[in-house]
Amino acid sequence: MVKITVDGKEIEAKKGHTILSACRKAGIKIPTLCHLEGEREPESPCLLCMVDVEGKGRVRACNTEVQDGMVISAFSKELQELRKERLEVLAKSHYGDCRAPCNLTCPGGINVQGYVNLIAKGEYLAALMLIKEKNPLPISVGRVCPRFCETRCRRILLDEPIAINHLKRFVADYASEVGFRDDKVGSPTGKRVAIIGGGPAGLSCAYFLRKQGHEVTIFEAADKLGGLLRYGIPGYKLPNKEVDKEVQNILNLGVHVKLNSSWGKDFTIKDLKDRGFQAVFIATGLSRQKQLDIEGSEHAICGLRFLKDVNLGKAPEIGNDVLIVGGGDIAVDSARSAIRLGAKNVTVIYPRSRVELPAHQRDIEEAEKEGVQFFLMATPLRIMEEDGRLKVEMARTILDEPDERGIRHPIPMPGSRLFWNGDTVISALGQEGDPTFQSFGEIEASIKLSPRKTIKTHPSTMKTSVDGVFAGGDCATGSRTVIQAVAGGRRAAESIHEYLMSEKAGITEPRFNFTKGKRFEDVDMHNFDGYSIKLNEVMPARPPERRKGDFDEVNLGFSEEMAVREAKRCLKCGCLGLSKCTYRELCVDYKIKANLSQTRLKYPIDKSHPFIIVDANKCVGCERCVRSCRYDALELSIQRDNKSQVIESVLIRFNENCVSCGACVDACPTGTLSKKDVVIPLFPEQLNKKQSVCTYCGTGCSIDVVTKYGSILEIKADYDRPPNYGQLCVKGRFGYTFYRNEERLKKPLVRDSIDEPFREVDWDEALRIIATKLNHIKTHFGADSIGVLASSRCTNEENYLLQKLARAAIGTNNVDNCARV
Amino acid sequence: MRPGGNIPLLNSMLHCIIEEGLFDEDFIKKRTDDFDKLKEHVKEYPPEKVFGITDVPAELVRKAARKYATSKNSLVLYGLGVAEHKGGTAGVIALANLVLATGHVGKPHSGINPLRGQNNVQGACDMGTLPYTYPGYQSTSDQSVLEKFATNWGVNTLPVTDGLLEPEMYSRAIKGKFKALYCVGYDPAQTQANIGHVHEGLKAMDFVIVQDLFLTETAKFAHVVLPSACFYEKDGTFTSGERRVRRVNKIIDPPGKAKADWEIICLISQALGYPMFYTSPEQIMAEIARLTPAYAGISYDRIGDKGLVWPCPEPDHPGTPLLHTERFPRGKANFVPVSYIIPEEVSDDEYPFILVTGRRLEHYNNGSMTRRCEGFDLISPEELVEINPEDAKRLGIQDGQMVKVESRRGRVKVRAWVTERSKPGTVFMTFHFQDALTNILTSPGLDSKTLTPEYKVCAVRIVP
Ligand code: SF4
Ligand code: SF4
Ligand code: SF4
Ligand code: FES
Repeated sequence: MVKITVDGKEIEAKKGHTILSACRKAGIKIPTLCHLEGEREPESPCLLCMVDVEGKGRVRACNTEVQDGMVISAFSKELQELRKERLEVLAKSHYGDCRAPCNLTCPGGINVQGYVNLIAKGEYLAALMLIKEKNPLPISVGRVCPRFCETRCRRILLDEPIAINHLKRFVADYASEVGFRDDKVGSPTGKRVAIIGGGPAGLSCAYFLRKQGHEVTIFEAADKLGGLLRYGIPGYKLPNKEVDKEVQNILNLGVHVKLNSSWGKDFTIKDLKDRGFQAVFIATGLSRQKQLDIEGSEHAICGLRFLKDVNLGKAPEIGNDVLIVGGGDIAVDSARSAIRLGAKNVTVIYPRSRVELPAHQRDIEEAEKEGVQFFLMATPLRIMEEDGRLKVEMARTILDEPDERGIRHPIPMPGSRLFWNGDTVISALGQEGDPTFQSFGEIEASIKLSPRKTIKTHPSTMKTSVDGVFAGGDCATGSRTVIQAVAGGRRAAESIHEYLMSEKAGITEPRFNFTKGKRFEDVDMHNFDGYSIKLNEVMPARPPERRKGDFDEVNLGFSEEMAVREAKRCLKCGCLGLSKCTYRELCVDYKIKANLSQTRLKYPIDKSHPFIIVDANKCVGCERCVRSCRYDALELSIQRDNKSQVIESVLIRFNENCVSCGACVDACPTGTLSKKDVVIPLFPEQLNKKQSVCTYCGTGCSIDVVTKYGSILEIKADYDRPPNYGQLCVKGRFGYTFYRNEERLKKPLVRDSIDEPFREVDWDEALRIIATKLNHIKTHFGADSIGVLASSRCTNEENYLLQKLARAAIGTNNVDNCARV
Repeated sequence: MRPGGNIPLLNSMLHCIIEEGLFDEDFIKKRTDDFDKLKEHVKEYPPEKVFGITDVPAELVRKAARKYATSKNSLVLYGLGVAEHKGGTAGVIALANLVLATGHVGKPHSGINPLRGQNNVQGACDMGTLPYTYPGYQSTSDQSVLEKFATNWGVNTLPVTDGLLEPEMYSRAIKGKFKALYCVGYDPAQTQANIGHVHEGLKAMDFVIVQDLFLTETAKFAHVVLPSACFYEKDGTFTSGERRVRRVNKIIDPPGKAKADWEIICLISQALGYPMFYTSPEQIMAEIARLTPAYAGISYDRIGDKGLVWPCPEPDHPGTPLLHTERFPRGKANFVPVSYIIPEEVSDDEYPFILVTGRRLEHYNNGSMTRRCEGFDLISPEELVEINPEDAKRLGIQDGQMVKVESRRGRVKVRAWVTERSKPGTVFMTFHFQDALTNILTSPGLDSKTLTPEYKVCAVRIVP
C-alpha cells in the first residue's frame, strides 16, 4: 500500500495500480474516454485523464503508476479547461441526434421512438409502460392529441410521418382488451395531497403522486371524474366508456375521490389544510367561455355548455339551421355535434382565413366531410329574434393595420352587410380564465393571477404564490391540449413530491442534445439514402354518411398487423448508443455546446454487419473497438488535422475474421457502433440490469440482462465477473430475441393421436389427460414402461424434480438426459 | 487427422513419452497403479505405425508429446470429438492415461476437463437424471442411499430395477415394451443420431409429453405439448463445466400461460397423486443440499455472483475448484490400457466419404432458439455440407450448389460449402436445422458403455 494525495485529499492505493484506478477505488472520478482496463495502449490517447503530479509534471492517470507520497492535482481549473477543449475538438466532428425529434417535441416528453419500436417488436405492454412513464392517460390522448410529435417526425422528409398517436391508441386499447394492470404504487409516505378537479391534469397528478406513495384525494364538482375528457370532448372522438376505463386505471392505484364536491361551496383551501392535506393541487380547468360581445348575444347558446349537455345526453333542440361563432376545437366539435343532432345546415363563421383556424386541420377536414360549412373572413355583428327564429347580421372582414405587437386583427369590411336566418346560434369563442375562486376564502384571495386571469404558476414547479398550493392544466396555462394538461399534472406531482419529501422524484433528463438539425431544412437529405418510400397506414374510420347519424366513435383503431407495420416504418432517429455514451455524459459535465457539431453526414451509415450498425459520423477516435477485438477483425483508421486535432476522416470496417462476438460494440463509448436490435434510446439510469448466466454452452458465462418494462433490450457482460470477464460469443450476446418469437408456445396443446392437429386446452385439462394416461399405462404395463428425459435446458432444481418424479411419483429408474448430444 | 483415430493417436503420444523417458516417475509411483501394463501396451503404437490410421505425421506426434509432457502446466480440454465415438469412453481413458503418466493433474492450470456443449448437462447429471444414479452420483443400488431418499421423499419403496438409458427406451418401444415418455427441453427427434430409429421408437409409444418453448421436431410425435418458460423467465441454478453452481435469475414473465419447468413438474406430480409442493426453486435447492453430499454446503444466499464449485460438503465450505490434489476417489489411479476401436462404419467404394457432424458457433443444438433470433439467419441461414476443394473438383461440385448427402440410412439435400476446413475424404455437417435433418444420416454405432452415438463418423456419398 502507498499513500498519495489527490487535490489535498490523502488516499491509500495498491502498489502497481495506476493513478486512475487508485482514484476510482477512492471514489474520485477522473474522466476517461479511451481507457480500457488491461488492454493495449491506444495510438492517440484521449488525454482526458491528464493530471498534474508534483515533481513530474503532467501525466496520463491511466498509465502512470502510483508512487508513495505522490501529490496530485486532478481537477485544477487549468486541467478542467484542457479537458473541455479536448471534448470540444471532438464535438466538431460529431454528427448525430442524441434523442429523436419526436421525443423532443412531445410536450409530455414521451419516449416516442422507444415505444414505437417496442410495438415493432410486439412488446405492446412494455410500450404502454414506457408511455405511462410520462402519460397515464394514453386511451384519451391516443384519440385526441393534436400530435405535436408527428409534425417534427423526420420521416416527413422521406414520405409521411409515423402515425405515432394511432400507435399509442393501439397499445392503450390492446392493454385494456387483455386486461393489463401493472402500475405499482409506491410505499406509503404518510403524506396527503388534495387535488381540486378530476380532469386530465388532476388525474395525471394523482397517478404520479400515488406512484410515489402519497395519499391522494380528488375533489370533483361533477358526479363523475374525467372533466374535459368526459364533458368537453364529444363521444365520436372519445367515447365515455373509454374515459371510464382511463379513470378506472387511475383509481386502481388507490385514489380517494369526493364527487359532487365543489370548491368554494363545499370546501375551501383552508378546510383542506385543516383536514391534514399537506399540499393542494388546483386543476379545475377552464369552465368559463369568452363572451360574444355583440348586440343580441343573449340569443346565442354557450358552446361549452352545449358540448357538456350533448355528452350528458341532454342536448337542447337546435332545429335545422345552426350557426357557430368561433374557429377552435369547441366550435368545430359543436358543429359536428349539431350535425349528429340532425341539423341540416351547419355553418361555422370565423373572421380569419382557413389556415388560421385554431382547430386542428384534420378535424376541420372531417367536419367538412360530414357537411359542416366554413364561412371564413366574416364576423357576426348582431343577433335578432324574428318570428321565433334567429336572424344574424354579419359582415365580411379585412385585416387591420398591425398593432404594436405586429398582429393584424380582422375588422368588418366597411359597408359589408350580410344576413343569416336560422334556428340556433352557438357561441364558441374559446375558454378564458375565471377569477371567481379568489372570493372563496382567505388563502384563495392571495393566489396571484396572470394577466390572462389564469392562476399564476412557476412554469416548471407549478407552484402558485401560496406555499403548498400548486396549480396546473388549463386553469394555469389557459386553454391547451390534453397532453399539456397531463404533463402539467406530472410536473406538479414531481414538484409536490420534492416539496413534501425534500428529494427529487425520478431522474432528470439532461437537456444536452446533439442534433442533425432542429429545422427540417437543416437536415442533410443523405440521411435517407437507401430508404424506399412507404406511406403510412390509414386509420380505419366509419364513412361520413354513416357516422354523422350517431355519436359513436369515428376512428376504429389499428389492427395489430397495421400497428406493427406502421411502427416498423420508424427511422429510429435517436441514438441507439445513448445508454452507453460516455462522450455525451462528459459533454454534459463539461458544459460543451452541442451546436459546435457537424451539420452534414460525412459517412454513409453501414448496416452490412448482421448485428452491428456503424455510424462513423459519431466516432470520437478512442480506439476502444479495435483494442477490445480479440479476433483482429476490425479495421480502424482515423486521420486528424495536425493543428486543430479535429478528426478529419474515419474508416471502420469489419473483415472476414469477425465472429460477431460484439465485444467492440459494448466497448464503444458512443453510438458509432450500435446493436441493430437495441432500438429504444434510454439513459443509463432508465435501464434495469440483472445478472444471470448464459443459456448456451457449458462454460457458464456471466451475463447482464438489460431490460425495460419486461422487454429485454440487450445482453452484456461485466468486465469484472468470471469466467468470461466481459467476453461473450455471438449467441451469448445476440441470441436472446427468441424469447419473444411469435411461435413461442403459450398454452398447453393436446391431441388423441399424432395424426391429428393439436387443440389448445387449459392446464387443468392437460394435467387431467396426463394423469389418466400415465396411470392407465402404469397399471397395465408397469412403471418401467414409462420414461422421463431431462435436459440441459432445465435448472438443477428442475432436473432434481424430474428424477424425483420418475422415482418417487412414477416408480421407475427410467430417467435420462440429453448429455449424449 | 482421420476421424476415429483418437485412441491410436493418444497411445502413440504415450509411446513417445515413455520412449523418451518424459513421464513423471514420482507421480506415477505415489499416485497410480499398473503403469507397467500401460508401458507394455503402448509399445505397439509407434507414431510411424499409427500414421496409417490417423494420417498424423510421426514427427508432429513426437513434438506434441514432448511439449505436453515437459511443459510446466499442461491442461487437457476435450470436446465431443472424443466422446462421440464408438470408442468414446476408451478415448477418454486414453486421455486419462496421458494425464496420469505425466502427472499433469491435481494442481492448478492442469488436469483434464470435458467441455460441455450445453449449459447445464453437468447439472443434469449431478442431479441424478441418469438411470443409475441419484443426485450427486449416489448409486441406485446402494441400499443406504435408497433408504435415505425413501424416508426424505415420504415413500415406502423406490424402484430397484435398473433404469433404461435413452437409446434403450426407443428400442424397447419398438418392441412394444415401452409406452410413455415425458420429454422436457430436449429434442431427440432432431438431435439424436440415426433419428430414423428414434422416430420409429417415438411413434411406437402410446403417450408422449413434450415440454418446450417451441413446437420442436419431437413435438411432432407428442400427444401433449406443455409450454414452458425460457431461462430469462425462471429462477434456479445451472452448473457449468467447471462444476460451478451459478444462479439464473428470473428477469421477465413467461408469455401467455407458459410456466417454469419446475412448476409444471410439481403440477404433474400432484395430478399423479404424489404431493410435490415448493414455493420457489430456493426451497428445492435446500432439499438437494440435504440429500446430496457434494451439494450439501450450497444454498442461494451463498452462491453470490461468482458461484460455488462443488464438492461443497458443508455450509461454510468454500467449494473445491481443484480436485485430486492428494488422492483420487478410489485412492490410487489405475492405468487402463485401451486399444483402437474401429468405428461402426468406414468409408468404402459405395460410401466414399466420412461424415463428421458437430456444431457451428452461431447456432445451438436443434436451433429452436438461435434460429429464431434476429440476425442469425444472416450469418447462418441453412445447413451446409463442408467439402474439400479437391473432392469438390473431382465430383464437379461448385461452392453453393445443392447436393444430396446419402448414407445407408437416408438422404439429405443441402448446399455445398467448398472449403479447406474439411480434409479430403471427410465432409462436415451440423444438426441445427429442422429443415435438413442431418441425423437421418448418422451412424447407429454407440459407445458400448454410455450408449453415446457415434456422431463423428459415418460413411456417406455426395451426389451432385
Ligand atoms: S422516424 Fe421514428 S424516431 Fe424518427 S422522428 Fe419519426 S417517430 Fe421519431
Ligand atoms: S464483433 Fe467481435 S470479432 Fe467482430 S469486430 Fe467486434 S469484437 Fe471483433
Ligand atoms: S467506433 Fe467507437 S470505440 Fe471505435 S474509435 Fe470510434 S468511438 Fe471509439
Ligand atoms: S488517455 Fe487516459 S483515458 Fe484516454
